Order: sequence, then structure tokens, then C-alpha cells
Amino acid sequence: MTSPTLALPLGLAATAAPGGSAASPREAEREAIEACRRGEREAFDRLVERYQRDVYRLCYRYVNDHEDANDLAQEVFIKAWRAIGRFRGESSFRTWLYRIAVNACLNFRALRRPVTQDLPETLADPLPGAAARVETDDEARRVRAAVGRLPEKQRATLILKIYHELTHEEVAEILGSTVGTVKANLFHALGNLRRLVGEEGR
Amino acid sequence: MSRHLSDESLLRLAQGGGASAERAHAGECGRCAERVEAARAGLALARRADVPEPSPLYWEAMRRSVERRIAQEPQPRSRGWAWLAPLAATAAVLAVVVLTTGRTHAPARLPVPTLPAWSALPPAEEDVSLEVLEGLTVADGDLGTLDEGRGVGAFLAGLSDEESRALADSLREAGQGGES
Repeated sequence: MTSPTLALPLGLAATAAPGGSAASPREAEREAIEACRRGEREAFDRLVERYQRDVYRLCYRYVNDHEDANDLAQEVFIKAWRAIGRFRGESSFRTWLYRIAVNACLNFRALRRPVTQDLPETLADPLPGAAARVETDDEARRVRAAVGRLPEKQRATLILKIYHELTHEEVAEILGSTVGTVKANLFHALGNLRRLVGEEGR
Repeated sequence: MSRHLSDESLLRLAQGGGASAERAHAGECGRCAERVEAARAGLALARRADVPEPSPLYWEAMRRSVERRIAQEPQPRSRGWAWLAPLAATAAVLAVVVLTTGRTHAPARLPVPTLPAWSALPPAEEDVSLEVLEGLTVADGDLGTLDEGRGVGAFLAGLSDEESRALADSLREAGQGGES
């Protein structure tokens, strides 16, 4: 699985502080946010660079389509830019951004018909090892389709917890629920996922 | 532990954790063991579902696209002035209501002359003291000269604050005297 963790772009990883010492990524991010609040668009570009992969992947998990995920991810950043003046720093920027992303995805799904993905026809690939890869891709596709069929709260919990490795507390904050509910939703999501993948495979 | 494990406990076990008592229960309880196994299988499946990685050029293109769109956006609004928005909206609504009400519900024209706004006296139609006034002798020097041509209303309107208050007090006393 591709690592969901962030590859820090240089802009945020090693920003020189006014005193001459290098600011930590966290401090650099805070400075970038403050600069955005002052209207400095270049600072927002650094935040986009840092979080674009995470936001895109989160959106993709919801819509199972590159074009839609791309549109949604860009929309998330535009919304974040518009609202950054109201970001109070009570939660982390990432949690705040994810919340915007989850809301955007839920709205998107509410406006569109449920996403279903056709399973591929029999694929023939003459290259060695391709059969195994196709099998893996096929399985990944079936799992993603099954994730898309989970109830909203279970899907959101599974995506944020398993694929983005947030803590239970962070997931609870994003979804506006309690830690206990997050754990229960995750447990049911995992059980349902196995059942749905089984159904897909039949 | 005889009762079935909670979802939270089952999740801990599925993720490889859990207290010894929880593990012992799952070892003896077929239903709980089955649910732990289902969640464990689901977890393994979930971890095998990668998101297809877009082209390396995609990230740069996406960043540029967001950058272009941000350039067309207005500056983000600072929270420092945000509190003024509802205040300004309320003021605007109030202004509209006052203006509209003032135009559509203009007060009916009262019999001339009316009492000035600063008068201590109530409006003539509500002033029960006027009935008392009719029974008073106007010869009282404190009330000044009553010009018959101007009428009682005009006379009252011409009084100063102090005179209005004195007259009101006199009327009140007279009214109380009449009741007793």
C-alpha cells in the first residue's frame, strides 16, 4: 500500500526562521497559515503542496474515479482558502482540511448517483507477472467498490482511520461524533467490508 | 466474563491488542471469536486496496490549477472583522424596517394642535384629567392667561417643561381629591 504519510515539500520542511534557525515543519505550517490569513497566496501554495496527496487520496476513496477525485480535491483547497481566515487553530490544520474534504465528498455523493465500479472483463497480458498484478488490481478494485457501499459513517471512519491513520480522537473531531462511536463504526465497517467483498467476488 | 464483548473490545482484539480477560473470553466464546475474525479479515482486505497513483506530473499540474483558481479568488476574510458582518446586517435590517414602517404606517393626523413630544402630559384622547380640567376655574394665576382664540391644546403646547409638570401635578392632586 502506498504510504499515506506526508512527503514534506522543502517549502515547509526547512523554512528559515527570522532568527536564522530552521523552523520545524509544524512551525513552518503555522507561519504559512498566518501568511495565508494575511492574504499571501504563495504561502497557501506551500500548504497545497504538502497536503494535495492526502486530500486527493481521501477524495478518491469516496468517488473511485480520478477525474472526480481531482475536481473534488481542488474544490477542497479553494474552500480552505476562502475559509482560512476563520481557521482558529483549535484543531490541527490537517484535521480541519480533512473535515472540509469529507463534507465535500458527502455533498458530491449526495448529488450524484451511487458510485459503482464495473469489475474488469478477463484481462490477458503477455508480460510475465502481469497475471498476478491484474489479480491484485482486481482485488483492490473490488475492495474499493465495497468500501463505497458501506454506510456513510462507517465508510468515513474506515477511510480516515485505516487509510489516513488518524487517531480515534481526530476521526471523532472530523465526523462530529464520539470516540466510542468511531470505534464501533470501525468495527462494523471491517465486518461489513469482508461480507461485501465476498458478495462482489461471487 | 460471561457477557459478549463490546465492539470496542472486539476491535482491540482484531487489531492485535486487548486485555487478557478479553482474549480469554474470545477464546471461549464462539460468537465473539467469529466477530473478531470477521473484523480481522476486513482489516486485511482494507489494507490491500491501494489508490492508483496518478502520473508524477499530475501533482504539479494540480498545484498549478489550484494556484490559478486561488489567484482569481478575493482575499480570505479575516476573522478579526467577521463579527461586524452580523452587526451590519442587523443595522441594515433595522434601518429598512424603520424607513418602511415610517412610510407605510404614518401616524394619523391628530386634532391640532398636539402636545409636544417632551410634554409630561399624556395625549389628549388618553388624558382622563381633561375632564377634571373642565371643572376647574381657570382664574388660577399659576396657569397664566388663557387666550380663548387659541384653545386649550394650544395653551398646553405653549407651556414649558416646568409649567407642564406643575399642571400635571395639579391635575393629579385634583383628580385624587375628586376620588376621595
